[in-house]
Amino acid sequence: MLQRGSSSLRKRPHQWITLVALICLTLLATSSAAPRKNTKKKLPPLNLPPLKTQEQKMQLLGYIRQNMPTLRQGSRVSFSSQDLDKALALELGDTISQAAPLIDDETFIRRASLDLTGTLPSAEKIKTFVADQNSNKRSDYIDELLETEAYARKWARYWTSVIFYESEANKRRVNPEALEDWLAEQFRKGAPWDYITVMLISATPERNKKKKNDYGQDYGPNNFVLACENKSTELASETARIFMGISIQCAECHDHPFDNWKRIQFHELAAFFHPYTYKMPSQEDPTVSTVVKPRFLLGEKPYENMKSDARRVSIAAYLAYNPQNYWFARAYVNRIWSELIGDGFYDVDSLGPDGDVVHKPIVNRIAANFRYKDFDPKWVFRLIMNSQVYQREMRTMDSPSELFTAIRPSRLRPDVVANSVSHVIGENPQLRKEIDTVFDMNPSLPQSTLEGSIQQALLLMNQRELQQALSQSELKQKLLGITSNEELVQSLYLNVLARNPTPDELQRNVSYLQSSEKRDEAVEDLLWVLVNCTEFRTKR
Amino acid sequence: MQSDALLHLNLNRRGQFTRRNFLQAAALGVAGSPLLSQIQLNAAEMKKQGRACILLWLAGAPSQLETWDPKPGSPNGGETRKIQTQTPGIEIAHYWPKIASVMNDVALIRSMTGKEAAHERGTYHLHTGHRMLGIEKFPHFGSVVARELGDPNSDIPNFVSIGQTLSSGFLGVQVAPFIIDRPGQLPDNVTSDASAARQRRRLALLSQQERDFAQAGAEALVQEQSKLYQKASLMMTSPRLKAFEFDGESEDMQTAYGKNQLGQGLLVARRLVEAGVPFVEVRSTGWDMHSSIFRNMERRAADVDQGLSQLLTDLKSRGLLEKTLVLCMGEFGRTPKINARPPAPGRDHWVRNFNLLMAGAGIKGGQAIGKTDENGQEITENPVQVEDLFQSMCKAMGINADMELHTPIGRPVRLVDGGAVIKGLFG
Repeated sequence: MLQRGSSSLRKRPHQWITLVALICLTLLATSSAAPRKNTKKKLPPLNLPPLKTQEQKMQLLGYIRQNMPTLRQGSRVSFSSQDLDKALALELGDTISQAAPLIDDETFIRRASLDLTGTLPSAEKIKTFVADQNSNKRSDYIDELLETEAYARKWARYWTSVIFYESEANKRRVNPEALEDWLAEQFRKGAPWDYITVMLISATPERNKKKKNDYGQDYGPNNFVLACENKSTELASETARIFMGISIQCAECHDHPFDNWKRIQFHELAAFFHPYTYKMPSQEDPTVSTVVKPRFLLGEKPYENMKSDARRVSIAAYLAYNPQNYWFARAYVNRIWSELIGDGFYDVDSLGPDGDVVHKPIVNRIAANFRYKDFDPKWVFRLIMNSQVYQREMRTMDSPSELFTAIRPSRLRPDVVANSVSHVIGENPQLRKEIDTVFDMNPSLPQSTLEGSIQQALLLMNQRELQQALSQSELKQKLLGITSNEELVQSLYLNVLARNPTPDELQRNVSYLQSSEKRDEAVEDLLWVLVNCTEFRTKR
Repeated sequence: MQSDALLHLNLNRRGQFTRRNFLQAAALGVAGSPLLSQIQLNAAEMKKQGRACILLWLAGAPSQLETWDPKPGSPNGGETRKIQTQTPGIEIAHYWPKIASVMNDVALIRSMTGKEAAHERGTYHLHTGHRMLGIEKFPHFGSVVARELGDPNSDIPNFVSIGQTLSSGFLGVQVAPFIIDRPGQLPDNVTSDASAARQRRRLALLSQQERDFAQAGAEALVQEQSKLYQKASLMMTSPRLKAFEFDGESEDMQTAYGKNQLGQGLLVARRLVEAGVPFVEVRSTGWDMHSSIFRNMERRAADVDQGLSQLLTDLKSRGLLEKTLVLCMGEFGRTPKINARPPAPGRDHWVRNFNLLMAGAGIKGGQAIGKTDENGQEITENPVQVEDLFQSMCKAMGINADMELHTPIGRPVRLVDGGAVIKGLFG
């Protein structure tokens, strides 16, 4: 039986070492070799310390983490952005000769700011950055952005959207804002990815019946489980999808048609999350069902008599700390890579074990090193963004063989479009809400499959508050105060598109100003054009 | 490019040869004799002119026993009674007295059988005709209709959905659903304070700006955006925009459809079809009745009963029903066995047999196709697969169901994979 008591884990090391040993033993046992045998002997109940609170769980997982062999190896291994470029050049072979040229400072500063913080750099910042002679300035700028609040917020929004985008949970029983705030705090602190994952997966939110609609949603980390409505099957498919990048949802009803995942494996994973005895419905007759024992995807089985909260801790441990589970680190790396480069090594959440991974050695190496680097999210950003593969010009690519020879021009996410609009006209909460709705997109779909809509065009063209704000904006007043047409156009481009105009653009806009009768209207027209151009809502 | 323009050149949906199309043809240099042969060539095309489809989607999966296949007296019947309809011999659940009174125009399929018992997957299956299996995103049937029957140069979208729905999948933004949430109002942001001349100046400048960005490596995005801006601009000046509002509809007409979101949505659907939009979806929510099914059904059915029966009556009196397919369905059915959930019993997901309603576009009314046994648990006659339904929908719309579509990676797929037109459905 689970022993209750106020004494902390630290005071009773023998008990939790028992558990750690049990978990580690299962972790190390190779799954494929182990025949499934039913041991007749009834196992004694496991004498565990309390695992009720998140702190208690994290303490235990912290211990398992410290003992992971990979973390000790990590100190002796290094993998730099130059190593990445070299490895990729080898992979690409002759194709590397078609790679796009490297970007200039202006393109870099806009790209890096949008990627890390979701905001545009100010005109002043662009000027000083371009003028800066320091050869490490790009790398320094990445470091600088990684320490901002905006970085933590942008990526908290991204992951919140990943978790909630397809959630069907009752809106009154979840709190996406609480999750976002908690994630932002983690990213700000530089919390490692395994810690974040483990907190989300091992959460066991409890309903407070004394308060209406209180399901524990105000505690941020509870919201992954709540977004899955605490349903075993939903938790199983979302855990595999988000944290392993594997699509096993189809296996709920039948063996996966393209991959190796079997229906039984899906239900064994679901059983892990079930508080009691899990039953798999029969495919022939929905009224018949069979009991399924919990088993993780790589074959690990938890201790038989484990309570459900302890079982969630063990699934978190299997997920993050089994060195054979390369999917865990790779799923994170592939998502960040997709966001930064515009294409992933595979579609972020639809991979099976036999899925087509493009340039697999590269992503596997980054993933391995991510593990050695203590699952530090910032390490992945630094690695990719300091490399040449990130710092290439954009190109529209059609064939997989061209991948990673340029970056794909990417649609900005709704919150980033809203940021860009407020960069031009100032903050407007109502407009932000409308943009968030109209520009909403599934964060788990590849860029190449996303689509715009007529509503998006109509919003930027005509939305009343936006038009009024453009006409009354400080920026417009500032522009009108500039007497030289050339300088005006330069300032316009720097402030809206975060770059200087090309000679063609300069000439075109200047002649528009010259030929217009009303300068006030003409400036507004130019602002309108830049807010409506594709570049405004695209990362180039 | 040329053939695409030609295909849709002949007539618009109202059967008129439009001047604008003619001028386009002239610009393409085909206004001479080849044009004549094109028109003759497309004589078959003319038959489908004017065809449209209104899909009333009951999201959540309505119970077959509380709609068109009641089983009072059986252990599974529950509180639902059956009522006689206009057509002798056809009885439906008592929640639907107004549908009962237009039964002669309606065909019921009581023997649908599906494969997907989860909402998302069932919704996908019944909207695309394909199961959610591979990586391909199949298009909503509405997008197929928009592509095949819609005028590509139309000044309003060829596919409108009142409420959220699936996307055009691999058919792209050209035929994506235009989604509105509040029927009876102009869509958001379609009016501009800028004069037409100023708007033109801005758009001209914008297209130059876009050209530069395309050259810098963003061709695909720019192409898509310019299509969308073109459509948005056309829409802003379209005289047909008024179809989104109730201008010219009498108060009586609005009341007849029901003064609620659903009724008003169906009235807008009729107006859009009248204005030449070939596909409109109207979404009704709240049909996932795991509990309190008998009480909820009274409330839910009332709006749909009124709105749908009025839609059929109205389309018929305007001579539109002959060419308009009306479909009312959800993603699957519900368990014949009544569960014991608090606070009051309901029915869970069931895909083995369910039902739906079809009317118009050549469908023979006053019939119920297929049968289930006395407890509503097994199909005893004429099972209909989802593919059969899609074959029938294609036939009603004059679309070749065997047509090949091409996925983004160039893989050819059939519009409908197998199945056959439902026997006896068409007169």
